[in-house]
Amino acid sequence: MTRSLALFRFSFAELLGGRFRRLLVVLLLVVVSLLLPALLNSASDPSDFMLGLFSNVVLPIALPVVSLVFSTAALGGELRDGTITNLVLKPLSRASILAVEYLSALVATLAVLLPALVAAQLLAAHGLGLAALLKGMLLATVLAAAAYCALGMALSLWASRALLIGLVYAVVWEGAVVGAAPAASSLSVRGYAEGVLDAILRGSGGPTLDARLGPVSATLLALIVTVGALALAVRRLARMDFR
Amino acid sequence: MTAAGTAPASPAAPGAAATSGPAPVAELRHVSKWYGDVVAVADLSFELWPGVTGLLGPNGAGKTTSLKALCGLLRPSQGEVRVFGRTLAGDSALYRSIGVVPDGDRLYPRLTVRSYVRLHADLQGLERPGAAAERAIGEVGMEALAERRLKGLSKGERQRTKVAGAIVHQPSLLVLDEPMTGMDPGQRAHFMDLVRVLGAAGVTVLVSSHILAEVERLASQVLVLVGGRLAAEGDYHAIRDLMEDQPRTVMVRADEPRRLAPGLIALPTTVAVEVDGEALQARTRSVAAFATALPRLAHDQDVSLREVRTTDESLEQVFRYLVRRR
Repeated sequence: MTRSLALFRFSFAELLGGRFRRLLVVLLLVVVSLLLPALLNSASDPSDFMLGLFSNVVLPIALPVVSLVFSTAALGGELRDGTITNLVLKPLSRASILAVEYLSALVATLAVLLPALVAAQLLAAHGLGLAALLKGMLLATVLAAAAYCALGMALSLWASRALLIGLVYAVVWEGAVVGAAPAASSLSVRGYAEGVLDAILRGSGGPTLDARLGPVSATLLALIVTVGALALAVRRLARMDFR
Repeated sequence: MTAAGTAPASPAAPGAAATSGPAPVAELRHVSKWYGDVVAVADLSFELWPGVTGLLGPNGAGKTTSLKALCGLLRPSQGEVRVFGRTLAGDSALYRSIGVVPDGDRLYPRLTVRSYVRLHADLQGLERPGAAAERAIGEVGMEALAERRLKGLSKGERQRTKVAGAIVHQPSLLVLDEPMTGMDPGQRAHFMDLVRVLGAAGVTVLVSSHILAEVERLASQVLVLVGGRLAAEGDYHAIRDLMEDQPRTVMVRADEPRRLAPGLIALPTTVAVEVDGEALQARTRSVAAFATALPRLAHDQDVSLREVRTTDESLEQVFRYLVRRR
């Protein structure tokens, strides 16, 4: 356990240090620039504004970008630089190395996105605002980040351009293809997040989404994608040669 | 040449079952590794016992592939690797007793020397990781640079840092792939002292190099790889004697080399002489005797020498010779 904790601390610090600081600064600037119109326009409904921000900016852009950047860098960066040998030549199973790297990518993703969401809600609503909306956004973010990070980890072990492939999936498949053929949302992480958020919003008296998936199927599918991607990644790492 | 020398009892293997006699610390049994149509090593078998063993071979001979197979970074296409009597695949606990300095840089540039070595101590799960890291940094002579970031260090300093990371948990088996790359003469001397001390203390050290002189000062036992195969193994001096016996080619450029030929062919150590224009090539069993006789001959024959050099000093040719002699 102490070895895994040491690896988690190191991996988390590596992810949030160095070049990723620039990414965080850019993301913060984007969030602030998106919030400015709402802050200047007090006539708009805070809940409508926040739901629009979440479904049009956070879900399609910020969440997949941050999740995939961290998750493809966690092991992918080690593989690219050859530093992975520092980890696999230690008394740690390859499955536990992958699990710890996955957790560090997930926690780093949530450490960026969750405070930003809470801050945006506080600013837009001049308070906590609609509690169901905040709860729904946070839960949907955790669920989607878990799935995106698992996909990013698996991609980084199979392809050298894992981040690009992940972003193409998020933009082309989840954006264009699911938009044209809604049935494809069963293979869309964004669709799972929308399903969970929509279920929480219904009955709250606030705005709702037009989600294709119900909460149970959305949660189950997200879990299947997450566990499946991680299982594939473990299998790949266990059989990998380090030349 | 013989199999790898005497066989002292192996150190206590972590968790290994008791055996009736001494067992090697590590062994490769008929290991082959290929990538598509390219064979990196073929049917390689050797054993490692406590002490320092040198792994010699020209570039591309399969040294790095063999070392990576030995420490579990590569899975053999065929054959078996056993360390402390067990296979490494799926048995990560064995790395508590194995230290590896792999090829390449493989460092985290943002870390300091101290934090890099401490990371290795933490990942080993040591009880006092801070103290272990300080001891390892001291052993490689990096105390003064402990707070420097790795990206600002010289190649030799980074190599020493890698060695500190590999020995921080005091392993029983230490695998070093070209560890002296980039080290200056002082650093090399310090490093060689360290390896000799570890070997004398019973640690099994396998150190690869393509430089004969390095291995000569480190290891009495050597494994020689050529073209992915084991060309020779055993006592270094026996192998060295074979190399001394090898005729070498010396190329001489002079204004009238034909006049030197009779005197050179008369030398007892000369095997053959060929003259082509202003170039003369001589095959000799003693470069030193040739170098002593040549100026005298040139003076006697009033010939101006323009260039004298040996043309087959590369290890690859020496190793090819060894292969032919087997």
